[in-house]
Amino acid sequence: VYVPTSGLIPCLLLAGVECELYNEEYMTCMWGSREMPTVNYSLFYWYKNASNKGVECKRYLQDQGVRVGCYFEQNELIQFQSFHVLINASVGGKTLEIPSKRMLLQDLVKPAAPVNLTIRNMSNNQLQLTWASPYPNDQCLEHAVKYKSNKDTSWTLSVNGDVFSLPSVDYEKSYTFYVRSKINKFCGSTLFWSEWSLPVFWGSNSTSKGPPAGPPPLPWWCAVWGSVSPLLFPGTVEEQLYWFGIRTVLVPIASCLLLLVLVILLVRMERVWVILMPRIPNPSKNFDELFITHNGNFQEWAGVPKDVVESFKPNYSENICYVTELPPKDSHEPLWDSSNHAPPPMPGPPAAPNEHSPYWNSYGRV
Amino acid sequence: MKRMIIFCMLFFCSTMVLTETSPRRAKYRQILRKIEELESMVKEKDAELLYTPENFVDGCENTTVTCFKKGILKLQPARSQDTPKFTKAIRIVSRFTAKDKQCNATPPCESYEKKTPKNFLKGFENLIQMLFKN
Repeated sequence: VYVPTSGLIPCLLLAGVECELYNEEYMTCMWGSREMPTVNYSLFYWYKNASNKGVECKRYLQDQGVRVGCYFEQNELIQFQSFHVLINASVGGKTLEIPSKRMLLQDLVKPAAPVNLTIRNMSNNQLQLTWASPYPNDQCLEHAVKYKSNKDTSWTLSVNGDVFSLPSVDYEKSYTFYVRSKINKFCGSTLFWSEWSLPVFWGSNSTSKGPPAGPPPLPWWCAVWGSVSPLLFPGTVEEQLYWFGIRTVLVPIASCLLLLVLVILLVRMERVWVILMPRIPNPSKNFDELFITHNGNFQEWAGVPKDVVESFKPNYSENICYVTELPPKDSHEPLWDSSNHAPPPMPGPPAAPNEHSPYWNSYGRV
Repeated sequence: MKRMIIFCMLFFCSTMVLTETSPRRAKYRQILRKIEELESMVKEKDAELLYTPENFVDGCENTTVTCFKKGILKLQPARSQDTPKFTKAIRIVSRFTAKDKQCNATPPCESYEKKTPKNFLKGFENLIQMLFKN
């Protein structure tokens, strides 16, 4: 058995203890591998404000009989609290203590790989990829998609939100998609991406569900939404959140301002009304001559000749005024004037309806 | 006309209500973005060390936020051309408040360790991340 000098052990442990919290279900802290000296390692851990300093690891991970790591159960994990680990290496009756630096467990989370990858055909030769995640909190995740067709040599990587769209696909090619997740900056400052998911295939020569027989007919609003939604919900999570922030700030502010304007309108209606609906201008000043001098007689003001005016008049009828010559003063016969005579029938249309008028006919039918 | 104005007021009120989806999380996102901006612009060299709360006590979130807000006001930008953006971010972060669920005893701000401006901002980031996650 090779017994190293006591100085070698800290050197070998300089790589440090590496801890990973898998999907917030359990954690493993590894400090070594087969190349480590064969000594007795033990791990102690504590949280900064905990009452018991230094609880020993309950379940060690071993490689060929040498302890190389520790497995922590979910109930042993507290996030957002300083986590400290101490490794004791015992060799030849001597014990070396190798402390680790302070860790924050929320920065060590590695989510589980996405599952249930599904491809849907959208309008305009567009493909939409969706998936589910075993991680409990969707708001804390960001995702990366890598894909290539059977004709491409390298993978295309795209970091985005919850849904991935491939704008135009070639129906002659077959595509392969992988997705992985990471805790986003709103829930922790992590570095670990999850493992890549199981792949999903699309296109000709593929075994995926459904024949690639061209896009199915879609309602018109789907096509409209497909063209508008990239503008409303552009690529990355950060951009989505940015637009969400803009919408939640600007829309209430704009609505409030508009509300205020309407309230003011209501209170001071008369004054705003005059501004919004101004008084109709009166051009009568230009027509003083017409109204005052000629007393509204347009033809006279315009200088229309009299015979033209006469010709425009409608058929005019008046009672015939019977003029009689007054007898000489020495005869006392009664005067014949128009008041004693019944007026003769008028030459124009009759005033009262008679049997031949259409109104009477219709009245008669009723 | 009056009736139409009242109807319009009710309409705009309802649209405001509809846009209010999870305002708490949206606020945390905004504050985290502003802290990120401050981290990129803050002066580190010869800067004053600030009391940085850690191991946050459950239920005393607003008290902890107040400690951070005291420290935030002492931060300075590294370059003078960043001053307007820096000041705007400080102003937004200073207006942020959280709720104390049930706060029995918190250590005073001065009992915490003093750290550099960037580590101070990382500590603040941790607090907001905790609030967002829960």
